Order: sequence, then C-alpha cells, then structure tokens
Amino acid sequence: MNSHPYLRAYMAGVTVPTMMLLIVLSGFLIARYAFAVPIAIERAIVFPMAIVPNLFGVWNMFFLWLRPRRHLPIGFHGALLPFILAPAGFALATASGFAVATSHGLVWFHDIVVPYYLLGAGFCFALIAYYLVWKYLVGLFNEVLGIA
Amino acid sequence: MNEQELNELLKRSIPPVSELRRDLWPQMLRRLDAQAAEGSWFVALLSSRSAAPWFDWALLAALVVGVCLFPRAIPVWLYHF
Repeated sequence: MNSHPYLRAYMAGVTVPTMMLLIVLSGFLIARYAFAVPIAIERAIVFPMAIVPNLFGVWNMFFLWLRPRRHLPIGFHGALLPFILAPAGFALATASGFAVATSHGLVWFHDIVVPYYLLGAGFCFALIAYYLVWKYLVGLFNEVLGIA
Repeated sequence: MNEQELNELLKRSIPPVSELRRDLWPQMLRRLDAQAAEGSWFVALLSSRSAAPWFDWALLAALVVGVCLFPRAIPVWLYHF
C-alpha cells in the first residue's frame, strides 16, 4: 500500500463527488419534472459530472503534496476549493446560457433568482459544506486508502 | 549423488509434518471477520461522527437551516457539487 500515493489520493478525492452525482442528478430531475424548473439537464450536468470530481481528485493530490511542506487541516484545505469551483461553475453556466447576471441578481436556470446580497451567504454555506465534506468524507477515504 | 541419495537427504533435512490437533479454519474465519469489522469504512465514518466537535454539529445545523430557508437555491447548490 505504499506505492502510487498520488493515484490513491486522486481516487479518494474523486469518490465523494462521484457518489454525490446520484443526488445531484436526482435533484435536477425532481426540480425539472416535479417542480417544473426549466433545467437543461444535459448541459447543467457537465460541471458536476466532469469538472467537480476531477478537481476534488487533483485537490486531494495537492493536499498530499502540500502535507510535508505546509500542513493545513484537510477540512480547511477543502474549504478553499469553492474559491476555484464557484467562479469556474458560474463561468461555465454563463457560457452554457443557464446563468445570467441581471440587475436583480443572478438568474439560474431561467427561473431561480439569487439576489446579490444573498451571494455572500450562499458562498459561506458552500464553504461550510465543503469543510464538512472534506473533513469527514474525503478524510475518511484518505484513511481507508492509507494516505491520511 | 544419485536420485535415491538425494531423496534420503531431503527426507532427513525436512522435519516430518505432524497431524494438526485441531481445525484452524474457524479461527482463520474469526480473524478475517474481525479484520473486516475493524476496517469497515462505514464503521469508521460512524465513529468519526460520534467524535465530532460541537462546532461541526453547529455548522451542519447552520447548513440545514440555510437549505430550509432557501429551498429554491437547492439546484444551484447541487450544480456546484
């Protein structure tokens, strides 16, 4: 178990968002078909399906690389990820046409208006979620794969 | 040295295997079960959860309250996971 630690770190990082994908896809389907939110699932799913898991894996490899140099607890390391993911997600959503910046706020999926004053609070919630997910789930998979 | 002498030499150098006095397989199974129970990631998750500090529970509660206050933002959250 001492070989290929970066590969194991990547696998441990990828596991959580890959499992979350079931919840994400279910949430999108429920929002679209039960609550009639016009989500273009085939475009919206690209970011959580392709970008997020790979970024989790790479971020966990970065955590492993960083550990002997400047050790940061894994929860705080994970909480830094939304600073990359949120702008990247918004950029991709804007390019794909399902997030638009208006004078009232950001309009997601042509239906959900997020006022600008709530963006900060939403971002703080994302930091909390990522902190907990990294501390308890990614940290757990790191332990299981022997790289904690 | 011919083949027969080699056989004799081998027989002398390797001690005879005595019959086992008991079946070791049940003991092996118990050991494997114990290792599996210790190594279960789900058990590890539960034990780490029970050892979570109070502020992590407070953060989780804040998260749940946030989702309940702004349920329409759930798809936006899901998009970023």
